[in-house]
This record gives sequence, structure tokens and C-alpha cells, in this order.
Amino acid sequence: MIRKLLIANRGEIAVRIIRACREMGIETVAVYSEADRDSLHAHLADEAICIGPGPSAKSYLNMESIMSATLVSGADAIHPGFGFLSENARFAAFCEQCGVTFVGPGSQVIQNLGNKQIARNTMAAAGVPVIPGTDHPVMDAETGEREAARIGYPVIIKAALGGGGKGMRTAYQPEEFALAFQTAQKEAENAFGDGTMYIEHYVENPRHIEFQILADAEGNVIHLGERDCSIQRNHQKMIEEAPSAAVSPALREKMGCAAVKAAKAAHYVNAGTIEFLLENDEKFYFMEMNTRIQVEHPVTEWVTGMDLVKEQIRIASGLPLSVKQEDVHIQGHAIECRINAENPRKNFRPSPGTITELHLPGGQGIRVDTDIYAGYTIPPYYDSMVAKLIVHGETREEAIAKMQSALGEVIIQGIDTNVDYQYGILNDPDYQSGKFNIEFLNTHVI
Amino acid sequence: MKFQNMFKKRVTEPVKSAEPDRPEVPDGLLKKCNACKSAVFVEDVKQNYYICPHCRNYFRVHARRRVEMIADPGSFEEWDKDVVTGNPLKFRGYEEKVAALQEKTGLSEAILTGRVTICGLPAVMGVCDGRFLMASMGEAVGEKIARAVERATKEKLPVILFACSGGARMQEGMVSLMQMAKTSAALKRHSDAGLLYISVLTDPTTGGVTASFAMLGDIILAEPRALIGFAGPRVIEQTIRQKLPKGFQRSEFLLEHGFIDAIVEREQQRDLLGLLLKMHGTGEGKCAWKTAETEREIPEKEAMSDEPSEEKITPWEHVELARDKDRPTGSFYIEKLFTDFVEMHGDRCYGDDSAVIGGIALFHGRTVTVIAQEKGRGTKGNIAHNFGMVSPEGYRKSLRLMKEAEKFGRPVICLVDTPGAFCGLEAEERGQGEAIARNLYELSGLKVPVLSIVIGEGGSGGALALAVADEVWMMEHSIYSILSPEGFASILWKDSKKAKEAAGVMKLTAEDLKNMGIVEQVIPEREKLTEENFDSVQEILDREIRSFLDVYCEMPEEELLEKRYFRFRNM
Repeated sequence: MIRKLLIANRGEIAVRIIRACREMGIETVAVYSEADRDSLHAHLADEAICIGPGPSAKSYLNMESIMSATLVSGADAIHPGFGFLSENARFAAFCEQCGVTFVGPGSQVIQNLGNKQIARNTMAAAGVPVIPGTDHPVMDAETGEREAARIGYPVIIKAALGGGGKGMRTAYQPEEFALAFQTAQKEAENAFGDGTMYIEHYVENPRHIEFQILADAEGNVIHLGERDCSIQRNHQKMIEEAPSAAVSPALREKMGCAAVKAAKAAHYVNAGTIEFLLENDEKFYFMEMNTRIQVEHPVTEWVTGMDLVKEQIRIASGLPLSVKQEDVHIQGHAIECRINAENPRKNFRPSPGTITELHLPGGQGIRVDTDIYAGYTIPPYYDSMVAKLIVHGETREEAIAKMQSALGEVIIQGIDTNVDYQYGILNDPDYQSGKFNIEFLNTHVI
Repeated sequence: MKFQNMFKKRVTEPVKSAEPDRPEVPDGLLKKCNACKSAVFVEDVKQNYYICPHCRNYFRVHARRRVEMIADPGSFEEWDKDVVTGNPLKFRGYEEKVAALQEKTGLSEAILTGRVTICGLPAVMGVCDGRFLMASMGEAVGEKIARAVERATKEKLPVILFACSGGARMQEGMVSLMQMAKTSAALKRHSDAGLLYISVLTDPTTGGVTASFAMLGDIILAEPRALIGFAGPRVIEQTIRQKLPKGFQRSEFLLEHGFIDAIVEREQQRDLLGLLLKMHGTGEGKCAWKTAETEREIPEKEAMSDEPSEEKITPWEHVELARDKDRPTGSFYIEKLFTDFVEMHGDRCYGDDSAVIGGIALFHGRTVTVIAQEKGRGTKGNIAHNFGMVSPEGYRKSLRLMKEAEKFGRPVICLVDTPGAFCGLEAEERGQGEAIARNLYELSGLKVPVLSIVIGEGGSGGALALAVADEVWMMEHSIYSILSPEGFASILWKDSKKAKEAAGVMKLTAEDLKNMGIVEQVIPEREKLTEENFDSVQEILDREIRSFLDVYCEMPEEELLEKRYFRFRNM
């Protein structure tokens, strides 16, 4: 069993991990940057070590410094949290080389799943549905049209060297294909000097559905149901919930099986998340696998009654899973809102600063994961998320009502936050009806 | 609120388990950077040219790694591997020490020599290895360098030496000292054969190595922040009993003091060396640059008088245009007219004058030496370049570059733009007059074609020092004069305010000077010249410089010098 754990992270997730360790009787070592001397995680841990200046590259991303802190403190394991070094294969390998337990999958697994092509091929080979597309570059419209027919319309034509939307076109019907291909190719040739193209099935207005899985070293893999993370702004999730209003028990079973298959194919160990795109007609496609604990893990915790961080630590200590698939039951409905220090009216400009007044909601079915406190100064160097407000109700309607009530109670003075914006989303009829997709925030005025 | 141990931390007793093996970093995975003191991955350092990924401190590089960094893969052919020291002083314990180092480093001595290709071009390369008695120069090092240089001379190959050394090898006494003379002498013969020697100084280069082969390069490059000096800093401090300033004897200090041409980051070294080798061709004979584009079509020379010029403007207006703040300066001309410009710094005596920018560049594939007086743009730029007022070290730098051009048989193109030579105490102390005179003297006999173009102000002797040329051209709105109109008025009429009138009588415009036969050609400017509308003159200059080079580079040396002599003799 892990004896002493170093948390290579900051903010609420570091606090979350420290709390789990306290309950488990594991000693904790926090690391902090010079900008984080007054951060909650540094004070809550049994020990705290400064690992460098404010900018992440010099502190929370500084592997050598974090390893030095680990060895000096006598910790035998590192929990990377999310972000920073959590999905860095090199860091995981470094831990392996030094004999430090990395709370997460092995470095080779991280490496393979971090490579889009390898991940896609692994999943396709294991029978996990991937977005249909060409395996070889396409150079002319005729070949492209044949491929498109095989793949299924609508299709998206992408430049091999593409980026920033250049050299990218969609075609909804075979009649549109030739023109779309030629336009995209010409654009690619002009922009990148290369007309190599790929064609993929275009997944239109999908939902972002992800499955939480747990896998132990003995090869047991279970899934804990899905989370619906379709409410996103510029690929940044804002609201997550479990279960998804769009996933029926039958579909859950099907997607859950695929998720377990995916984890097994990747030889995955520890907690992980399989992201799928879900189309209108219940078709779903593997997108990627996140090899870490997720920001939104509390919603899964609440509907399953499990503590994912504790499970992570148990798995990393070599213990088998504490539950079997048949013991996993989804109960009620949980929603999480991310509270960010940013100003939605000024294009979500980050708003670091000192919190002068603070009141956070509580009561039955309400959970707040945060690292802020009255008088705390949010440093400008890191992610703007300052709190996660999570609610649980018997039904989705009850959960929404609880979240509206809880958001209405949040008082954070001294900085700008997105609380009112979140409140707006919760009041939107389309959100309330559960009929939305990843384009929700692009198509709704909040 | 501040948390001062306010939390009750322990809720449960810590897990008591048998303490397993304490984690540790395996040997060879990390190393410490001496500059920033942080631990770094050895692999990162290796993949990154042996530069600290955190602070960019340069780690010392083993000789074979250095060869790998610079030479084309597999091209290194080692020479004289069997040359080892004979322990001339029969110094006790020396042979054992050398044997141990040979075992440890896999090298026979502190320098590795041989033949390489860099970007496909052949060269002789030598690299010192600091692990071997701080790469001090004993008889074996001296012998290997001398042999490599001699063989390079015989095979007409350029030499590149990467210096890194503590200096002489104490265990070999006077025999070691003699290696300084031996290596220098070999390099002298190599140079006399018209061959290129590039010296690259790395940390540290000191003592007898600095005072011999390291400082003798036609081109001397250095790595950033390398310690380079004759006497070591500790010795100096102990001798003069003073603390030395920060940065003393570092590459940047040497650059400022005129002793090295350029500081080059490791990432750029290979490409730069390749380019320099290419620019120096085979280094054989005169006008070696005349290899490219021999089939060129020589454009028809248009009659310049046909070019539509603006309506007649007064001489004073010419002066104002020549001094206009938006007028393109020397560096802009270099950027527009040449490619692959490699700037060379320093006079190798005292300093590097930023009022003169010089170096080698390609002009349609041929190598030329370009020297420009630079006024700088904007107030900051003006100050940084001293308003184009050249100091003695600026003239000495230009002369050094001209002599180098002569050695390698490449033409010289000078761009003149100065209000006059720098007038100040320091300039006089360092011999401003002598510096200008020396340029006139040497330029008159320089055995390669010289072209001077007055692009702005041609202020007096300060301008002439770059204009003893085969042809002198002027941009239409440039001026060239005995001194500034203000100075003229003040000397002749005791009133500098009469500058306008002075301009009227001085005959300083391009047109006047062309009529007087002082300049050969006027390059028309259609409008007020700026960087934005430079294209109009760029085309003409490009064409005219091409035809100048075509004519003068074909000219036999004797005729060239005779013609230049009489160009001034008849004035």
C-alpha cells in the first residue's frame, strides 16, 4: 500500500486528493510554486515543498524538480491529478525508472493512447467503433468520391497538413463531393503547399458522451456509466452530468461494453475515461481516451456512490477493484457546474485577483470542491477554474432545481466569475429539456 | 485569512507498513546544470546540442560528439591517431596519467583531427577535448594540429579548429611552449596558400592556445558565454588584487572588444560553417567566386540620362533628402541587394564599431565582401550606430575585411553614408587620422575590384576611407562633399547658419560630381526614397552591380590597379 503520496498538482484537485489520503491514513506531500504559498493545498497537506517560480513550466511541469521533492520527502508515490504532467508519458516513465509509484496507467499506455493514430488503430482492431475514414491519403476527387460512398455521408474532407480550418470542407451529398474536394485541395495547396487529403465521416452535431472506467492490474475492467459533457465552449467543458438524457439503458450497456473493450485493448490499468461522439441515431464513435482522473469525476461518484480517487490509489497500490460490474448501479442524477474566475461579458477574459467576500452553498445533495477561501488571491498563472459545484437529485429535474438554487447562493466578491452565465444555461428551455449537443453554446444566447 | 497550522491534519493514524526500497534516481538519468543548479535529463541535454533545457547554459562537448554535431554523418576520417606524447621532460607520473585518460576517453590525445565534409563540402577539422588534461597543448596536440594543417595546405582544404583548452601543458615544459609557434607557423603557410581557416572558440579557451592557433582564424567564431582569454581570471585577480567585472573575458566581451567575428549558437553552427565553406569555394587562386552563373545574360545598359527625374531641386534640398530620416540606410541596402549576409565584427585590436556593418554575402550566387556605413533608424537606432559617424575601429574593421576579400579574391562593395568620421576624444586617442589614411593607402592597391556607392551622406575623409574604388557611384539624392555645408560655412564665412548658401556653391550633388568626373554614375531615384519604394532603385542597382562585376572581375590585376591608380592620379 502507498505510504506517502506526493500530489504533483494544485488547486481543488490537489485538495481533493489530500482529503482522500487523510481518510485512508496516507501521508501527503504537497508541492507548490512560489505563487502558491498561500494556496489551500499547501496548507492542508502534511508537508509542503516549494518546487519553483510561478509559471507552470518552472514548477508544476518541472519533472526534475517534482522528482527531487518526492525523493527528499520520502514519498513513494505521485498522484498527478489532471492537467500538468498527468498525461505525460515521459513523466510516468521517469517515475517508473526511479521506483516511484505513478497513480495512473503505465508510461507505455499513456504514450500509445496519446498518439491519435495508434489509439485509433488499437480501438478499430478491438472492434470499438471509430469514425469511418480513409486509411490512405487521397489525391484526386474520383478516388475520394468512391471512398466517401464507402464511408457514408456527410463527409468531411481534411488536408493532411491542415490546421485552422484551412483546406477543410464538408459534403452532405455525393453531388457536392467533387466541388468540395477540389476547393479544399486547392486551398490546402495554397496554404501548405501540399494537396494530400483525408476523408472522414462527418459527425454532425454530436453529443460528447464519455465513459468512466476502472481497471486493476489483474485485468478486471468495469465501467461506471457515462457523463454527458456536451455543454462546452471552445472545447472547454462547462457543465457535466450523469447519466445523460440521451443514453437509454440499452445504449448504456452497449457503449459501456465498448468502453470496457477499449480499456482492455489498451491494456489499461487505473481510472480512465473513454470519450465518444454520439450521433442522433445512437451511432457512437471512439474519440480518445483520457488517461487520468477527470475534472468532472464527482458526478460519477455521486450516481455510483464510489470514491474514484480512493479507487485510483488502491489500484496503484496493487489492490484489486473493490466492486464488480454487477454491483455498479446508477442512482439519481448529478450535475456539475465549473465555476471559473473569468468574465463572460468580456469574452471570458480570465479574472485573477483577491477574493474579498465568499459564501458557498451547502445542504442536502450539494457538494462544493474548491480551494478558494475568503482573502485568497488567485494567481494569474494557472487555469481559471476555482470551484466545482456538484448537485445530486432523484431525477434530472430535481437536480436542475437544486443547481439553480445552489448557484443562486454563490457569492464570490473581488473577482469576476461565470456564475450568472451558468445560471443562464440552467434556465434555458433546451437545456432543461435535455435536447442539446456540443453546438449548444454556439447556437444559444445565454 | 492566513492558515498558520490551523488545520488538524491527522484524522487517522498513518499507514504503518514495512518501509520498502526507497525510490531513487538511477545513475546517468539526470545531471546537474552548473549554471542554474537544476537537475536536467541527460537525454534532453544530448538531444538539445548539450544545452541546458532550463537556462541554455552550454555543457562542454566531447570531441567525438562535436564531430557528430558538425560533420555530415559518417564523413569523419580520423588522422594521426597514433601521435602521442613522448613525455619530453620525463615527468614523473605523467605517462600513467595520460594512459588512464586514453583509457577513459578513447582518445589518444587532447585533440581529434581528421577530414570531414560539412553540408557536402570537404574540410579538415580539429576538436579539442577538455576531459584530456583540460585539452592543454603538449607536443602531441601541437603535432596533430601542425600535421592536419600541413595536409590541408597540401590538399588545398579549409581548416576548422574547435578550440577548448587550459593552455600549455605544464608536464611538457618548454616543449609545450614551442607548440604555440609550431601551430602558428603551420597556419601561416596555410593562409599564404590562400586557404580558409575558421576558428571556433568554446568554453574555456585560454593561455597558450588563445595566444596561438585559436586567435589566428580568418574567421573567428565563439560559442555564447565561453571564457576566452590569455591569462585566467583567477590569475589576473590575484595579480592586480581587484575583482573583475561580470562578463569579463566572456565571448560577448570579446565581441565588444573586436576580437571575434560572431557568436554562434550551437543549433546554427553546422549551417553557418557549411555556408562559409560554400562562400569560400575551393579557396584556390584569385576570383574563386567566379564559379556561379557564368552563362548569365548581361542586361542592356540603359542610358541613365533618359530616366525621368523629378523637377530640378536645389542643392540644399539634396542635402535634406540625403539626411532624411526615412531614407534607407546601409543595412537595408544589404538586406535588399544581397543574400546570406554573414556579418563579421571587430577590428581585432580594440573594438567593434557599430557605425560600420561588414561581412560576406552572396550576390546572385557569387561571394562578395560588403561594407556599409550605418546610421541606424530612429533615435534609438541612431544612437546605437553613432549616427553613422565611424570610429577608428570601424575603419580598421573595414580594412580587415577588405584584406580578407583580397586574400580570397572576392570583390568589395562599399556603401557610403556618414556625416563624417567620428569627431571625439577617443577617436583621436586611437588614431582617427591614421585609420583613415591607412584605408586610402591599402585600398589603392587592393588586388580585387572595389565598388563604392554613396547612398546618403558622403561626409569628407570619413566617406573617402571607403571610396578609393574602381568606380564610385552616387544615388541621385545623395551628397558627397569636403565637409558638411554647415562646417564649410563656418570655416569660410564664420557662420554655420549659411549652410544653405554653402550647399549651393560646394558642388556636392551627384549631378555636379558626375559632371566633374569625381563619380562614374548616378543612380536615379524617381521620388523621395524610402524603404517602401526601394524596389525602383533596387532593380537598377542590381543590374548595374552585375555589370560592374562582370567587367572588373574579368580585368587582369595589373590593369585593375593601374586604372584605379590613375582614377585618382588624374584628379
